[in-house]
Amino acid sequence: MTTTLDRREDAPRSAEEARLIELRRRDNRRKWFWRIAGYVVILGLWELVSTQIFDPRIVPGPSTIIAAFPEIIDGGRFLESYGATLTRIGVGFGLAFFFGVILGVGTQVPWIAGFFKDAITIGLVTPGLVWALTGLVIWGFQPQGWAFAIFMTTFALVTVNIAEGIRALPKDLLDMSRAFGVTSWRRQREIVLPFLAPFTFTALRFGFSIGWKVTVLTEVFSSNVGIGFEMRVASQLFRMDEFWAWALSFFVFALFLEKAILQRYERKFFRWREEVAL
Amino acid sequence: MADIRVQNLQKEFGVGEDRVVALENVNLAISGHVFVSIVGPSGCGKSTLLNILSGIETPSSGTVAITQDSRDAEPGYVFQAARLLPWRTVMDNLMFVQREKDDAARERCQRYLDMVQLGDKGDKYPGELSGGMQQRVGIARAFSIEPDVLFMDEPFSHLDAITARSLRRELHSMWRQTKKTVLFVTHDVGEAVELSNRILVFAKGGVLKDDLNVELPFPRDPSDDAVAVAKAQVLRKFEELDLVAS
Amino acid sequence: MATMVSSAPIQKSRLRRILASPTTARILFPFFVIALWYFIYYAIDSRIFPTPLRVLEFMWEEVTLTSGVRYSSVAENLYVQFAISIARLTLGFIVAMTVGTLVGLWMGVSKSVDAFFHDWVVAVLAMPALVWALFFSTAFGYGHMAPVLTVIFAGIPFVIINVREGVRNTPKELIDMAKAFEVPENRITRHVFLPSLMPFFFAAMRYAYSIGWKGLVIAEVFGSQVGMGWTIKFWYDAHRAHGVIGYAIFFILFALALEKLVFDPLARRAFKWRPSLDAYQLAEGDFSGVTQEGLLVQEDQIGTTMEVRGMESGPQDG
Repeated sequence: MTTTLDRREDAPRSAEEARLIELRRRDNRRKWFWRIAGYVVILGLWELVSTQIFDPRIVPGPSTIIAAFPEIIDGGRFLESYGATLTRIGVGFGLAFFFGVILGVGTQVPWIAGFFKDAITIGLVTPGLVWALTGLVIWGFQPQGWAFAIFMTTFALVTVNIAEGIRALPKDLLDMSRAFGVTSWRRQREIVLPFLAPFTFTALRFGFSIGWKVTVLTEVFSSNVGIGFEMRVASQLFRMDEFWAWALSFFVFALFLEKAILQRYERKFFRWREEVAL
Repeated sequence: MADIRVQNLQKEFGVGEDRVVALENVNLAISGHVFVSIVGPSGCGKSTLLNILSGIETPSSGTVAITQDSRDAEPGYVFQAARLLPWRTVMDNLMFVQREKDDAARERCQRYLDMVQLGDKGDKYPGELSGGMQQRVGIARAFSIEPDVLFMDEPFSHLDAITARSLRRELHSMWRQTKKTVLFVTHDVGEAVELSNRILVFAKGGVLKDDLNVELPFPRDPSDDAVAVAKAQVLRKFEELDLVAS
Repeated sequence: MATMVSSAPIQKSRLRRILASPTTARILFPFFVIALWYFIYYAIDSRIFPTPLRVLEFMWEEVTLTSGVRYSSVAENLYVQFAISIARLTLGFIVAMTVGTLVGLWMGVSKSVDAFFHDWVVAVLAMPALVWALFFSTAFGYGHMAPVLTVIFAGIPFVIINVREGVRNTPKELIDMAKAFEVPENRITRHVFLPSLMPFFFAAMRYAYSIGWKGLVIAEVFGSQVGMGWTIKFWYDAHRAHGVIGYAIFFILFALALEKLVFDPLARRAFKWRPSLDAYQLAEGDFSGVTQEGLLVQEDQIGTTMEVRGMESGPQDG
């Protein structure tokens, strides 16, 4: 006697099944209700606080900020600012990524790992602001200023992630392939590189995330173009609505880049791992 | 010694096409100073049955009654993985499950630790012990509350053969001394034949197929011929019953 | 002579071994940095780029209060500035931990509450401390409000997320075990639930402090007239690179001291039952995850660790 699992599609569902389906549906509905409630309550409170307790010019509510968007876009400086900031991120982080990967791979050699150990620790704990001010006081408006800041803030992160990947390389797979006489070149290509891909990706994602923040920070101090510059100007003129419009627009854009694009490709890299990437 | 009565027990998971029947209309009665093994292929619901009997899960339908002289029986449980609190010492782990945390309890815990030959390890953390030792702590813990019924879910399956063998001996002597009802889930037929006087045979899909009595006298030596013969007989029975077909 | 010839190779290899060791490399690094520094000094054409000696001199003067620089009547020297910053950081930290833990617990326990707050926690998490710093400075002017609020807003999302993860990662198999033994609910909370939360809570604390510190410094640069952040800005405005670099080094030393002298020993004490990881590894593991994007930090379920160890039965057991 066997248990029957086959059901014809039009067979009537048992009461228990129907109950479970309904429960799941109700659960989903409840989650959406609370999610929307969150938006309503928080945006509403924000609006209230901004208009009633503070001056909406200083503490703008959601409506004020949204109204400011067309203003900053019209200004003409919009594309220019984005262009400048993104170029800087590209250059600064690009350098950091390049050297970070090399260094990360280099840490396989214990001597190199020992040599750069403190550099990496310092790179991780130092606030980006410190690098920004140091770079800017020495080089001022010159590109070395912001490049130095972005590089120093992000290289350690890249290095550490890559080093983690290297440390986790499956020695048994490499030994196995060596025993089968697979050439070093093929070993790198077919084992090391695919294995490192997720770590590289994580390094890219997190490094970029910090990179853009530090870039905007340097622009606030010492620049005449860029998102950070616009934010500083807006706050100095007490036009906080524009300040938030700039901040939010860039932040939404960066978030979009991180989540929509990078995260989607991340899944491809991570496919062979069961761990869920964030 | 407890009295276990299960009637029309049914347990299902999931809905619609994902619906899985873990236990199908199970009826059984166990009582007294018996060592009962539950054997079957994976997917036959052995662990689910144990979880329901110990209260961790609830049945979809049917009744379960575990009593001891007209009151609810006290359960003890030994898991496949020791499930010790890693942030508490061995002694604290035993004390954690006691009803009253008094000196009598502490004495009792020490006594059972001694019985599994870990009397001097009371202050150690589980992380400092080997897998076999952790399992012994688990056994001591279950015995230390002096339960009426003992549920054991493949407690030796993760251990090496030598450790498992000595633990089986230890467990069995403890059972004979303390006269409990033991329900022992295992996939190892040899283990079942060595330890139990009754074997419940489950098939894939949660169906109770057979109820065998093992008539050999205790203590049984696993390397004894009689035990080997019994094991062969049981295995032949399994084939007749065709437990894996679904 | 025969003996002379045979002793030479042994000495050579010991020297080579010492030179080749990574510890030597680590010691060599600072010298390398100083050499590089001097190289840049001579290569670069800048009047403000200081020599290492100039920076050290400056730092010494600050520490011994002999620089003759008086920052303001309120906060004269390095020590007072530092104390003010620490005080603000600690206050913000306490608020962030309290509110964050409560919200995190609530979100972990209730799916509705989680749905309510989730998107907002992510939004606040993604905001750089700079934005909070600028905003609060403009809204509240100079004083303590802006820096403290920045610390709070910078750190709170990390606390919330870590505590929530802690709740969601409660070791179910240990709770099932306790239920199977009919252990009363309050004892389960005390002995199973709360200890399982500890690693996540600890991670939350580390983030709250280190991210809070980074945010504080930025806030003090923009919205304060005292504090470590303001001091570094002071030297920046004065175009004195040795001042900026000197205080940069003070910052780095502080952050390092915090890690090695506070959090590492704490981690060691709190997690002494974990034989597989030493505190340093815990710290390193945390920090390579620091990425300032926090999110999930802590290692996997303690229960899983136990099970894995249970399976490593070896012939060494008894």
